[in-house]
Parts: sequence; C-alpha cells; structure tokens
Amino acid sequence: MATQIDDQRIIEFDVRTDEMLVNMGPQHPSTHGVLRLVLRTDGEIVSEVTPHLGYLHRCAEKIGENLTPRQWIPYTDRMDYLAGMNMNLGWALCVEKLLQHDLSEKAKHLRVIICEMGRIASHLVGMGAYGLDLGTFSPFLYAFRERERILDLFEEVCGARLTYSYITPGGATADLPKGWLQKCEQFLDQFQPIIAEYHALLTTNAIFIKRTCDIGVLTPEMAIDFGCTGPVLRGSGVDYDLRRDGEERYTEMYDGYAFEVICQKDGHYPKDHQYPAVPKDAVLGDCWHRFYVRMLEVIQSMDLVRQAMDRYSVASGDWGVPIKLATKLPPGDVYLETEAPRGQMGFYLVSNGGNIPWRVRARSSSFCNLSVCPEICKGVPIADIPAIVGSLDIVMGEIDR
Amino acid sequence: MNWHTLLFYLFALMSCGFAIAVVASSNVVRMAFFLIVSLASTAGLFFLAGAHFVGAMQIMIYVGGTLVLLIFGVMLTAHAAFVSMVTKSSDWVLAAVFGGALLGLLALTAFSVEDWRVARGDQAAVTSSEGEFASSIGQALMGMRVDRLSEGNSQLEAGMSGYLLPFEIIAIHLLVVLIGAAYLARTKRRVGSVTEGVQ
Amino acid sequence: MAEFINSFLFPDQPDHWIGVLITALIHVVMIINVIAVGALVFIWMERKVSGRIQDRLGPTRVGGKFGWLQTLADGLKLVAKEDITPGQADSFLFKLAPYLSFTASFCAFIALPFASGYSWSSGWAAREVNTGVFFVLAVLGLEVFGVILAGYASGSKWSLFGGMREAAQVVSYEVPLGLCVIIPVMLAGSMNLVTIGDMQEGLFTNWFLFHDPFTFCVFWVYFTCAMASVNRAPFDLAEAESELVAGFHTEYSGLRWSIFFMAEYGSMFLVSALAAILFFGGWNGPFPVFATLASALGWEAWPTTGLLGYVAGLAGVANILFKGVVGVTVMIWVRWTLPRLRIDQVITMCWKYCVPIAAVCFAGALFWQYNNIWFLNSLHPARSRAEVRENWSVNELQLLTPSALHEVGESDMAKGIENEAGGQI
Repeated sequence: MATQIDDQRIIEFDVRTDEMLVNMGPQHPSTHGVLRLVLRTDGEIVSEVTPHLGYLHRCAEKIGENLTPRQWIPYTDRMDYLAGMNMNLGWALCVEKLLQHDLSEKAKHLRVIICEMGRIASHLVGMGAYGLDLGTFSPFLYAFRERERILDLFEEVCGARLTYSYITPGGATADLPKGWLQKCEQFLDQFQPIIAEYHALLTTNAIFIKRTCDIGVLTPEMAIDFGCTGPVLRGSGVDYDLRRDGEERYTEMYDGYAFEVICQKDGHYPKDHQYPAVPKDAVLGDCWHRFYVRMLEVIQSMDLVRQAMDRYSVASGDWGVPIKLATKLPPGDVYLETEAPRGQMGFYLVSNGGNIPWRVRARSSSFCNLSVCPEICKGVPIADIPAIVGSLDIVMGEIDR
Repeated sequence: MNWHTLLFYLFALMSCGFAIAVVASSNVVRMAFFLIVSLASTAGLFFLAGAHFVGAMQIMIYVGGTLVLLIFGVMLTAHAAFVSMVTKSSDWVLAAVFGGALLGLLALTAFSVEDWRVARGDQAAVTSSEGEFASSIGQALMGMRVDRLSEGNSQLEAGMSGYLLPFEIIAIHLLVVLIGAAYLARTKRRVGSVTEGVQ
Repeated sequence: MAEFINSFLFPDQPDHWIGVLITALIHVVMIINVIAVGALVFIWMERKVSGRIQDRLGPTRVGGKFGWLQTLADGLKLVAKEDITPGQADSFLFKLAPYLSFTASFCAFIALPFASGYSWSSGWAAREVNTGVFFVLAVLGLEVFGVILAGYASGSKWSLFGGMREAAQVVSYEVPLGLCVIIPVMLAGSMNLVTIGDMQEGLFTNWFLFHDPFTFCVFWVYFTCAMASVNRAPFDLAEAESELVAGFHTEYSGLRWSIFFMAEYGSMFLVSALAAILFFGGWNGPFPVFATLASALGWEAWPTTGLLGYVAGLAGVANILFKGVVGVTVMIWVRWTLPRLRIDQVITMCWKYCVPIAAVCFAGALFWQYNNIWFLNSLHPARSRAEVRENWSVNELQLLTPSALHEVGESDMAKGIENEAGGQI
C-alpha cells in the first residue's frame, strides 16, 4: 500500500503545509554508512530524494595505478568490505585474463567454496541490517551470530576476518587447512534449519510484509535502464546472473554445477528447495522481492558450497601459485565482470607493459543500484526511505571506492 | 491555615498568573504551554471542590485534547522555526476594554449572589460528600434533576426536567461542527483538474 | 493520616496544611519510588530479556550476579554527562519538556490503587478518586505534551517529525483506549478502580477477562492500544531509530534524556497495572487464599483491619505488582520481536481496526451482561456481584434508592427509578 501522490496539485489545494528539506545522513542510523540523502518532505511524504556521495572516497583506483596487481588486492577488500572474498576474485580474474593464466580444477573449486561462503556472509548482513532498518533488532544479531561462524572459517583459511586478501591473481595465498571442509560441512548442517527462523521473523512476518510489499517498486525495464544488477535486478524478475550469463573465464568456474538463477519466472521462483510462499500483496520488483531473492540466494549458495566441496576433495592440481610481484603485465586492456553479492562487479585494467597497471577502474554494483533511489523514493512516506534504501543493500565503500 | 484554603490560593494564583503569561508571551508554543498550566490549575480547583469528574474532564478535553491539537496545528502550519506573535498596541487597548468589561460583568454577577458572600461553615463536608460522584452527573444528563428530587415536584418528571434535551442538542451540534470541520479541511480539487492533468 | 500527623503538631487544628503537606510528601515519595525503582528494574529487565532473546547474556557484572545494578551504573553515567542544550533550541521549553512528561506519568499514579483493604472505600491509593479510570486516562494523555514540546523546542527537524507523529498517534489512540476501558467500567458499574478490582474477587474465573468472549477480545485491543499510547515498539514511531535518528529526544543528553525514559517506563507499568485492575482482577490473586484460610479457621471473613488486614493488603500489592510486571515483560518481548509499523499503518490500525473492534466488543459485552448469559465468570462467583453493586448504589444513589423516593412521595418518576435501580441490583 504505497502512499503515492498521483496528482501533485492535490497537495496544493490541501491544508497549506510547508515543505521541509531534511538531511538524512551522512550520520544517520539507517543510511548504511556515510550516505547522505537530502529529502524534500511535505509532512511525512517525501517528494524528492537526492543522494550525495563521496564521504568515503579513498582514491582506491588511483592507488591501483601505483601498485602491482597483487599489492592492490587489499584495496579491493576495502571496497565492498562485507564481501571481501568476492572483490578479491573479481580483480584476480581480471589480472589472470590479461596474463592468460589458467588455473587448475582444484583452485577453481576452492574459489567457488570461498566466494559462495562470502556471498552467504554478505547476504546475512544485508538481511539483518534490513531488519534493523525496519525497526527489529533481534534478526540482526541472529544474522551476525551465523556470520561470525563464517568469519571463523575464513580466519582459519587466511588469518583475517574482514579484509582477507586471500584470492590473488594466480590462485590463492594458501590451501584450505586440514579438517576445514568438515568444519564447513558442520556449519552448513547447523545453518540450514536456522533459515526457517529468519523466514519467521522477517520474510513471512505480517508487519514485515506490510512494510515491504508494494513499496519501492522497480519495474524490470527501469532496473535494466538504470543498470541495476544482482539481487536488485533479479528481484524485478530479470533472469540474469553472471555466474551463468557471464564471460567464459568466470562461468567456467561454475561449469557442471547445478543451480538455477533465483528470480521470478512465469510467476514463480525456482522450486529446487522449500521456500515460503510469496504473499499476495507483493508486487514483482518491490522491497519484499529484493529481500526474498537474497534469502533464496543464501540457500542456493549453501547448495553450491556443498557441490564445490565434493568436487574440491576429488579434484586434481593445487590451489594455484600467486603471481610474482615483478610479473610484467602484457600491454593491452581487459575488462571482466563477476557476480558479487550486491551485483555485477567489474574491473578494468589497462597496461602499458610494466608490472604496474597504467589505469585501474572499478565498476561497482551498489553505485548503479543506488541511482534508482531518487526514482523509486518519490512520493513515499519518510518511513519507507530506510525500507527502500535498505532493500537495495548498498555498501558505501563500494560506491565511493 | 486550612490546607483547603492554601491549595485554593495556590491553584487560583497559578490559574490567573499563567493566564496573564499567555497574554504577555509572544511565542505561540510558549503561550500554549502557559495555557496548559492555567487550565490544569483550573482542573485542580475542580478537584479541590470535590468535582473529580469535572476536573478529569477538564484535563482530558481542554488540556489533553484541545491543546494538543492547537500545538499540532501550530507546528504544522508554522512558517518559521519558532513562531512569535507581536501584538499591536491598538489590539492591546481593544482586548483590555473587552476583557475588562467581561471581568466586571462576571464579578458583578458573582457578588450579587447572596449565598456566595459568606463563607460556608461546613467546607470539609462539602468537599467530601457533595459532587464527588459522577453518577449524579450522568443521571442529570439522562433527564433527572438529582439536586431537586427532594422537592417532590411532579413537574420534575423523568425525561422532562433534566438536561437531556440540551445535552442532545449540543451533541448533535458538535457532530455537525465536526463534520463541517472535516469537510472544510478536506482536500479540494479544482474543477477540471483531471482533464488538465491529461493534457 | 493528615489528622494523625496534625494530632502531634496542631492538636486543635486537625486539617492544618502542614499535616496535609507531610502526608502528601509521604505519598509522593512512595510513588516516586514505584516509578524510579520500577524504571531501574524494567530497564535491567529490558536488557536481560532482550539479551536472552538475542542469544546474548545481557549485563552480567555490575552489582554481582546478573548485573542487576547495571541500570544504576547507567544512571550514574547519565548524571555525569554534560547537559547540552542546542543553540537552535527554545531553551526554556527544551529544558522543561522532560519534567512535563514525567509529571504526567507520575500524576497518573496518584489514583492507581495497589490493593483494596477489603472494604470498598479504602483502596491503597495515594488518593482514591471516584472517577479513577477516567482520571488515570486523562492524566496519562498529558504525557504526550512533554514529547511534543521536546520535539518542537529542540529546533531539530527530526525531533519535529517525532513530536508530530507522537501527537497524531496518541490523540488517535486515546479513542480506542477509552472505548476498551469503558467495558469493564460498564460491567462494574463504577469508574472507581477500587470497586472495579473488588468486583473481580474470588477465583480467577471472576476476572473480567473471562466475563464473556467480548471482554476477552477487548483485552487484546486494550493492550495494543496501551502499547501504542505509551509509545512502545512496534508503535515507537516518535523515536523510530531507523527513520528519525532518535525522534523527539534526538537532541537530549544526560539526565534530561533519562527522565524521558523514567516517564516511559512509568507509563508502561501504569497501563499494565491498569490492565491488571480492569481485566485481571487487580490485587485479587487467581485463588482466594485469604478467604479460604478464613473459612478454614472458621471465621466469617478475613479481617479488613489490623495486622491481618495489612497482610492481606500486602499480598494484594504483590499480586498487582506481579501482574504489572508480566504486562511490561510482554511489552519488552514484543519490542524485541517485531518490526516497526509505518505511521499511516499505525493510524489505520487505530481507526479502522481498534475502534470498530472495541465498539463491537462493547455492544457484545452489553448484550452478554444484559441477558446474563453463562460464561466462565459464572462458574464460581465467590462473592456476589450484587453486594459490591449494592455498595455502589447505596453510596452514590443515596437520593435515588427506592426507600428514599418512597418517602418523597408516590410519583411516576419514583416508580421508574425503583424499576431501574432494581434492575441494576
């Protein structure tokens, strides 16, 4: 039930009230970091939203032009700091593409395990924080409880809990430690039944449904026009996932894996698992669907991790050897996109033949996803702004870089 | 000193003092606040007189209802951050004349009532027994003159003698005012605005 | 009590104001203790309960076991904090607002009885008000003033939003709240909280909650509206953290901020205690322990005066405190479970759901009571309803009792009243 004003002139003849410009952010509990939204409000209704960026700009791209590709890996961690592993992967694949470096089977499966685990961790934060945006605190802590266990696993792998720098051009910095697969398996077994809790507290909760259904509807055309990707795009019913539709160098990682792209096709979601039913108030492309897609992707990623672990344990080869710092990059330019948790993460690299790139550029998904905000936030009540911005699941580190 | 007298002076002073503060202040919201205190003190006077129901009514309707709406209205329609009103000296004179006249009239009426000139000896009895129960008010509104039942007057028949008719008239009147206010405040469309929108 | 004190100070003036003042101060100190200690316990409980809900421990260290002194430590911290008044604020109103909020919450406690001395006109209240329910609701409604003034005087746009939301919400919710409260008032035939409580004496089936299916429904409506009117999640829109930063108290710090919270927890307990009196038998436990004991000892009834009467009264206080705390716990539980509603949904819920449901329940309860239909209430009426009602009619309708009217003379009106009064009894 969106409170939209169809005819702007109606306000004009209503009781005279003043418009107010309100700064939401950069210090605001629900702008996910240092986003600043300038709201033009008439009472509770927001008539215009202008996002302002740049509060977290750290010149990552420029720094990339002064470091070797391996040295720049830690900077990719700090872009989407909630999915460092996936950022590492994007950059690593981009450099490997330039170097025409091929990996062993084992290294590929290892990357699938790690990246899908990273996706789960990232979606858990997105889910928990979305609950926080809607005013419920407990699911946030539940989500963090599970994320902690993933971080524990990551810590065993690479020693870091947030900025991993694990996946590097040429493979990874180390192999998985002994017994890690069992621990991962244990975690998945323990996590699988808990997902029902999140569905009870959020997805199927009556108030949650009231707050998210038919709010911030993003039509498929609009989503494509604005360059939205990831769960935001799939939440609008566009069947597009780079893990299936991407470049050969990226999709070969997922060769032979059984997974369906999570998006509503012909009125229903994939039926590979038991999912809660779509409420009848929900409209394709609204906040609820974006959230739902994330929830289903968690289950999908768990499935992928299980498949990858089976393959990894029987695969041949090693985890790969990181490229040398002094490795000369052949002249030329490459661009490669991967499916990060928040959408399409593209890296562009131009080399003039030295070991340091001449130009580095990142294309982040959150930036494009945020750009729909002024469009879909028109004429909604103030309370829906956090609901919409939260459902886009943006990370400011990735937007400002 | 009797506690009753003391509290009466206290509430009366607060009531009058804050009423003057309402007039003297220029900030609308502060005015509203002073009015709250003034009206609440009046409620205190009612409680002191043993009229609990009327006192609670005063708080509920005047302090709780009307003033919340007043402040709400001020906040909604305020153009500046803090609204201040400057009274012109001509307004002062006009208000003083009318207010003074009204006050004089009231005082004159009050002093002309014979019974009110001498203090009652049985104050405690009055405050503890008489208006303490709300039922009499309810029954008066239902058409009984509870205060005059002892007269045994056959003209005070049920339904004919109490305040039922005025009560009903006022109730209907209020309803009409309510609907009228809602209608006036409603969204209005210009005739033909729909077609304009299409063009 | 004032007479008792004055008998020492001014033996010749039993109603001297000093005695009355001392009496009043004693009451004030006791009520402030209920609110302040209540807030102390409830904030600790909030942290503990939320901790358990969220798989945490909550405070564990301050004050030895269970961190039960955590709130005190927090309070000390708040007192020590700088008291900031923003430059943009209207400093007079800004400083006054929290006290106004607290005063309203405090004043409502004046009329709240904690036990009945087993005789109808001696409830354990600071001041027994004949129209107790009405008084409590009226005064509780004033709490919104502090919030609105805080929102307005802060000179911050977020605070202004919070204040406006609070005004809209509380003014709306007073309507269904009043409608819900009318039902027990109607069943008891009195607005006196002590009478309402006494009417539910005996086994727990005598509670108004079990009077008929409609009262059972209306309790939930009451509880929802009460949560909304004291501004608790999922109706905490005036301070909605994720939308309005902190709403009306965005600009407050230190002690002033904590006074708002004292007021909030005070009113939370107040509405819970009111629910206990209106629907859950107030100070009457689920089983009539003292009446059973009295009959076992061969007494006619448990004494209403003296030490034994006080023992029964204290048990009543324990009962009502327990019921109130349970109500607060449920509020805490709800807060940490549900997401927040949107302002238009909150108002919609009030006008489109709560008001009609309460109105239908009112009509239903009226029908049930009028036709005297059987329900749990009639299972085991330990003390006849008529007895309490008789007290009511004798005391309040002194002029209208049939005998009094017969003396007045045979008129049509007297007959009418006789019939009416007979029906009531």
